[in-house]
Amino acid sequence: MKINRPQRKFKSIDLLPLINVVFLLILFVLIAGRPTTDHPGEIEVAISRQETAYVAAPLSVRLGADDKFYLTGDAPKSLAEIAARVAETGVAEQGLAVELIADRRAHAAALMDFRQAMAKAGVGEIRIKTEFAAEQVNGK
Amino acid sequence: MRIDRPKRKLEAVGLTPLIDMIFLLLLFFLLGSDFVRFSQSQLAPPRGTGGTDGMSQPAIISLAETGEVQWNGAGVTRAQMRERAAGLIETDAEQLFVVMPAAAAEVQQVVGVMDDLSAAGARAVTLERDVFDIDLADF
Repeated sequence: MKINRPQRKFKSIDLLPLINVVFLLILFVLIAGRPTTDHPGEIEVAISRQETAYVAAPLSVRLGADDKFYLTGDAPKSLAEIAARVAETGVAEQGLAVELIADRRAHAAALMDFRQAMAKAGVGEIRIKTEFAAEQVNGK
Repeated sequence: MRIDRPKRKLEAVGLTPLIDMIFLLLLFFLLGSDFVRFSQSQLAPPRGTGGTDGMSQPAIISLAETGEVQWNGAGVTRAQMRERAAGLIETDAEQLFVVMPAAAAEVQQVVGVMDDLSAAGARAVTLERDVFDIDLADF
C-alpha cells in the first residue's frame, strides 16, 4: 500500500544572524587581541602586577635565561658590542631609553652588568619589559 | 525619442564565498593573536649621574636570593617595605630607592620588588650592586 506523505517545504535558513555573530567575533578579537608576541629565543618576560603603558624604545636588548645578551640576531653579544651599538644609534646622545627584554629566569648579576655598562655608555633610563597580570583575589 | 532598455534581472548574491572568507579571517585572527598585555618597569639613572638625586637620603633595599628583603640593613616583609616606602614618598615624592639584588637573585624577584615600590608610589627606583657582590676589578 502506498502512503502519500505530505511534501515538506524547504525553508531557507536566515543567514543574517550568523553573519552578525561572526562579525562581532571578528571585532572582539581585533580589539582585544594583539599581534603575535613571542619573543625570539623563547624569552619569557617577568610578570608584573603594575600596569604601566608599554612604550617601545628605539633600541631593544634581549637577556636570555642563559644570562647572555642578544640584539637582533641569535648570536650572543658582549656588553662592549651593545655599548658600541648604543653609540652608533645615538640613543645616549638623544637622551632616549634602552629597552631590556629580560627573561624572568635570568640572574640579577647580568642585570647589574647591563645597568653598569649602559651607565658607562651614557644611557640614563632603562625600561624592563614585563607582562602585566592582574593580581588574583585569592592569589599571592 | 525614448529608448526602451531591456530590464536587468537582479541575480541573488552568493553568500557562501562571503561566509568562507569571514570564517577564514576569524581563524586567522584567532590563531595569530594573543591576549598578552605588556607593561614595563622603569629603572632610574644610577646615583651620581644627576638624574634622580633628590633631597632625601636614598632608601637602600637589599634583596636576597631567597627573596628576603632588607630595608637599610634590617629585615622586613614585603608589606612592611611598601608601607615604609609610602611613608617616605609622602614627605618627598622624588624619594630615590636603591634596590641591591644578590647576584643569584632572579629577574622576576627584582621586578617583584620594583612592582611593590611602584605600587607604593615610587617614581625613582634604581639598581645597584649589592656591596658583597662588588668586584674590585671594576675600580
